[in-house]
Order: sequence, then structure tokens, then C-alpha cells
Amino acid sequence: MASEPLAKTKDSQASIILGRYELGKILGHGTFAKVYHARNVNTGESVAIKVLDKERILKSGLVAHIKREIAILRRVRHPYIVQLFEVMATKTKIYFVMEYVRGGELFGKVAKGRLKEDTARRYFQQLISAVGFCHARGVFHRDLKPENLLLDDKGDLKVSDFGLSAVSEQMRQDGLFHTFCGTPAYVAPEVLSRKGYDGAKVDVWSCGVILFVLMAGYLPFHDQNVMAMYRKIYKGEFRCPRWFSSDLTKLLSRLLDTNPQTRITIPEIMENRWFKKGFRHVRFYVENDEVHSLDEPPQVPHDDASDSGCESDSSVASCPEITFSEKRKLGLPRPASLNAFDIISFSQGFDLSGLFEERGEETRFLSSEPVSNIISKLEEIAKVVKFTVRKRDCRVSLEGTREGEKGPLTIAVEIFELTPTLVLVDIKKKAGDRGEYEEFCNKELKPGLQQLKFGTAALANITSESEYDSERE
Amino acid sequence: MGCAFVKQVKHAPGYEESTLLAYETAFTIKEVESLYELFEKISHLIFNDGFIHREEFQFVLFKDSNKRNFFADRIFDLFDIKGNGVIEFGEFVRSLSIFHPYTSQDEKITFAFRIYDLKNAGFIEREELKEMVLALLNESDLFLTDDVVETIVDQTFKQADLNCDEKIDPMEWKEFAKKNPSLLKNMTLPYLMDITMAEFPNFVMNFEVVDEELDWH
Repeated sequence: MASEPLAKTKDSQASIILGRYELGKILGHGTFAKVYHARNVNTGESVAIKVLDKERILKSGLVAHIKREIAILRRVRHPYIVQLFEVMATKTKIYFVMEYVRGGELFGKVAKGRLKEDTARRYFQQLISAVGFCHARGVFHRDLKPENLLLDDKGDLKVSDFGLSAVSEQMRQDGLFHTFCGTPAYVAPEVLSRKGYDGAKVDVWSCGVILFVLMAGYLPFHDQNVMAMYRKIYKGEFRCPRWFSSDLTKLLSRLLDTNPQTRITIPEIMENRWFKKGFRHVRFYVENDEVHSLDEPPQVPHDDASDSGCESDSSVASCPEITFSEKRKLGLPRPASLNAFDIISFSQGFDLSGLFEERGEETRFLSSEPVSNIISKLEEIAKVVKFTVRKRDCRVSLEGTREGEKGPLTIAVEIFELTPTLVLVDIKKKAGDRGEYEEFCNKELKPGLQQLKFGTAALANITSESEYDSERE
Repeated sequence: MGCAFVKQVKHAPGYEESTLLAYETAFTIKEVESLYELFEKISHLIFNDGFIHREEFQFVLFKDSNKRNFFADRIFDLFDIKGNGVIEFGEFVRSLSIFHPYTSQDEKITFAFRIYDLKNAGFIEREELKEMVLALLNESDLFLTDDVVETIVDQTFKQADLNCDEKIDPMEWKEFAKKNPSLLKNMTLPYLMDITMAEFPNFVMNFEVVDEELDWH
């Protein structure tokens, strides 16, 4: 993309917007938005900033819908999705600050010639992983096309503008050409016919067109005459080249089915024979708002308690003076020791995050059992419900597989030493649905941990949710 | 002479200019204005008078205006700088500024000390510390025998009370907090790094801030 000079202020300094971003060259622009390269002046980090006209959004009358999508999108973290860092506004503009992806557009590769089947399949698998992940959270793209498919410096796919297309789409309702901004080549027939449509089905169609282009090097529905192209899309008229395998041809006929009711769904795609070849679910976790890949397979819950040691983590508080000598011999982790102020700081009354967002539910109990027994018990519970277990010293993370709008249920358990013979077990919901968490706690966690509790201590269920966040969901 | 009509914005009593508050705190003008939106919402939850009352503060934190919490009460009392039983907008911003990631460690340490100094005597006594531990255990439905609680308090005093005078003074607290940074984990709210983002779903659509001048190509 041709670069343009830096945006300047009157004093010809590089423009600093929103207090901390130095605006750079323009990366692209459409009728309603411009995308700039920018640099965070505090951290030096490169970002992309999409700038939209606020007035147009207000006029669209779909503010609530757009707000909801963006609120969810801000929480979406996935290796194959361009991350939305911040959304900010001034009187007339809305700024979306996004991850800057260096590898260029995927279709830059296709321009040099069609891709090998395995390469095309890998990109398609990554695309479906990203799209499925967002669909599970109620966010649809609705505008998947070449310029939204980027590559990072490792050559992995990054889908951009997820959820933001709703913004531009709602603003383009004053005419056909605005609606499609040029070519309708990737747009599903039900969108062209201006009927109500299902965002998930529309995305699947676009994925089908993208797969065809990756494999063939050209569009399935193409004509110099736009109306003729429309007709082909309506009828679903396309031909697969002879080098397409029969499995691929079958998959494409299901992806490019003109009837949204019978069109293949994301879960069905993931079960498709052509798709499944060499497919591995991307494994990752989010910590401190960053996506971390899990290259190694997760630790499988096991019954051997003595094997529950794990890699060290310098972020755990310093170890207590009183050593658990037996555990030392076994090479087991020792819990961080709590002083009186640490204990006090557990109070919900100190946690002012409730002013800004929904707080995770929390449960804690006391135990005189060895740490290894507690960890083993957690692994046992995880095994029953097929949760993934990640361990780090005296911290255990239990991760569910069921995808909801707030992601899979993720529970963090941390064990602290209170006295040489007594530990405090702190259980927090990190992600996932509140109802699912409560059900898991009541049916699995509390009964399973009951025998580990010290004396008459009851499990303390501490739940809280700020009004603004229940409004926001 | 022509008459200029100026749009009057009705502010709550106790409102202070965002420019002044931005100058005195870690927030930008935009962030102060965003905090005003949040303040307005909280202060109209129950009493609708432009001040945050204790019940409204409790409601926001616990979804229950009747649920009293020992430590939330302490925080409320410290936010209520004038001591008149309500939190005004200026007090809200100045107090929240302590929790800003850019605020110095020393300011956070001082504020935390004031939370724990229940009698406002300038030091933390053993009995105060024990009272707070018991309050937390009670809040969490955790039961420990008195001798276990005493042991925990003793161990803490052994580490923090450097001159062994049975009191933790501000200097001792500062030393102790620096050795135990986990004690200040509640003193930083990452949300305050960009309050405009944190509260986006509620009020990104009605900011009233002038655009920076940009040469839009």
C-alpha cells in the first residue's frame, strides 16, 4: 500500500493523538474510515488506528448493537485474530487502536499464484478457528474479504476487523455501491437480496469463497459485469478446477450453498474429512491480557500425587521461613507464606475493580492437607469433567472446553501457607459464564474438596457483580 | 451588542473543574470527564443527589446496598476527605488517583497505611491488626482458633515492628511494604490506565471533548 506522509499538526510536529499515539502513515482508507500506522510514545509499540466518524454511527440508530459487539470484542483474545487494544472517542471521532500486523495481506501470496493444497488448508484451518471462536462469543464478521486476512511475522493468519464490520455495514445503508464498496465477490446471496440474514451463515459463505481463491488463484463467481456476477452468486454457479480433490470439491459445495439453512456450519466444517487433515486445535491461554501459546500438550490429570511438581515461577511470593521439609524431599512446590496484611488484602472491600467491571466470583477454604493432596484432588475433579489442568508451583488452572460468550470456564486455584500446618486455598473464576461456574462449584468442586477442608470451615462463596457490567453484557 | 448563548452544563454539587483535577492527579482531562460520567451513575443509584453515599458505594461493589463490609467502609471513609458522610466528585477523583498505575509507590504505601491505622493514631497497633484479620475471616466464613490468629499476628509483628515497640509506624510500614510488594496489589487498578476504554460500553457515545487538530488526508 502506498504510504502517505505523517499527519501533521500546525506546528509541523508528528501528530500525537489521544495523548500517547504518534500518528504515522496511512495504511488504508474506505468511505467511512481511515487506518493509520501509529506508535505508542510511552512504549514504542507499533499499533494500527482505525478512525471512524462518530456522527455516522449515531445516525445509524444501531449504537446499542455496535457497543455490545465491541464490548465483547475487547475481551476476545485469540492467536489468529487481530487484537483490539482500546476504543476511545472524542467529540466527533471514534478510534479503534489495534494490533499492527507486519506480514502483509494473505492475498499478496495468492497474487503470485495459487497455493499448495496443504498450505491453503493450513490458512483455512486458522481462519475457521478464528471465526468459530468469535461466533461462540456472539461476534460475527459479516465482511470477510482479502484485505481483512493478514499474516504475522511467523506466517500465521490474523483476521482483522472482527465485529467492526457491523459499524461500517450499518453506516452504508444509503445505496448499493456503498454497501459493497466495489465488489460483492465475497458476499453471500442472502445479503445481496437485502433480506434479514444470519451473521454466522454469511461468514461461512465468505470462508468458502476465500478457500476457493486460495486453491484456484481466482474467484469462484466472477464477471466484468457486476449484475452478471450477482446472478452467478444468487444461483451458486461456480466450477472447481480439475486439480481440486473430490473431498475439497464436496466441502466447497457445502460452503457455497445458496440456501443458508442447509449451508455447512462451523462445527460441521471442523468434522469434515478434508478440513481435519493435519488439523490441531490451537492451544493458548491468556495471562495479563496477552495470548500465550501452549505448544506442549496440556498436563493430563493423573493419580500419582508425588508427580505434581511443576516449573517454577518467579512471580510467586517468597517462600516462608518454616520449610515443609518432607515436601522439599519430594521436590514438591511450597506455598507462599501469608502474613496478616496478606490475609486482610483478600477482602472484597479492598477490590475496587468492581467500579469498572464485573468481578470474578471467589471461594476460599482452609485445609491441613499437604499441598500435593489438594493438587491431586483438583486433578481428579478436572478428569471427571474433562477439564484441562495447568500447574505452576502452588497455582493450578482448570480450563473447560465448552465455549460460551465469555469464553471457556477458567478457574484459578492458588494455595498459600497460613501456618506450618495450615494452608488457605483460594479459588477464583477467571473467565467463563457465572452460571456455569456456580454449577461446577456446587456439583463438582465443593463436594470434591469437602474432605480436604479444615475443621468446620465452610466454603465461603463470595460473589459480586457491578451493576454496570450486567448492563453491559 | 449581540448576546451569546452558552450551553450550561448542570453539574453535581461538589463538582470541580476537570482541568484542575487533571492538573492535581494522574488523570488526563478526558479521563476526568469520563470519571464524571461514572460518578454521576453511582451518585444517582439510590439518593439521586450528586453525592456518593455509603450505600451507593456498597451497592456498586457488592450489588447490595445493605451489605456492610469492614474494609469497604474504611475505603469509603478515606475517600470522604471532608468527613461529611458523602463522597464528592473532587474527592472521588483525587482518591482514585492513588490507585492509578502511574501513581508513585510511596503514595500508595501511605494510603494503605491509613487504611490499616483504624484509630488514625499514626501507627498500627497489634489489636487493630488482629481486629482486621478477624474481620476478613468473618467476611469469608473462615474459622480459625484465637491462638492461630494470635500466631499469625505475632509473626507479622516480628517482621514489621523493627524497633519492637508493639506498634508499626509509617517508616516501618514503608520498609515492610517494600519487602512485601504483594501487600499493595489492591492499590493499583489497571482500568485507570485508560478510563475511556474501561468504561467504553457505557459512554463512548457521549464524550464532549474537542478533537486534536489532525490533517486528515
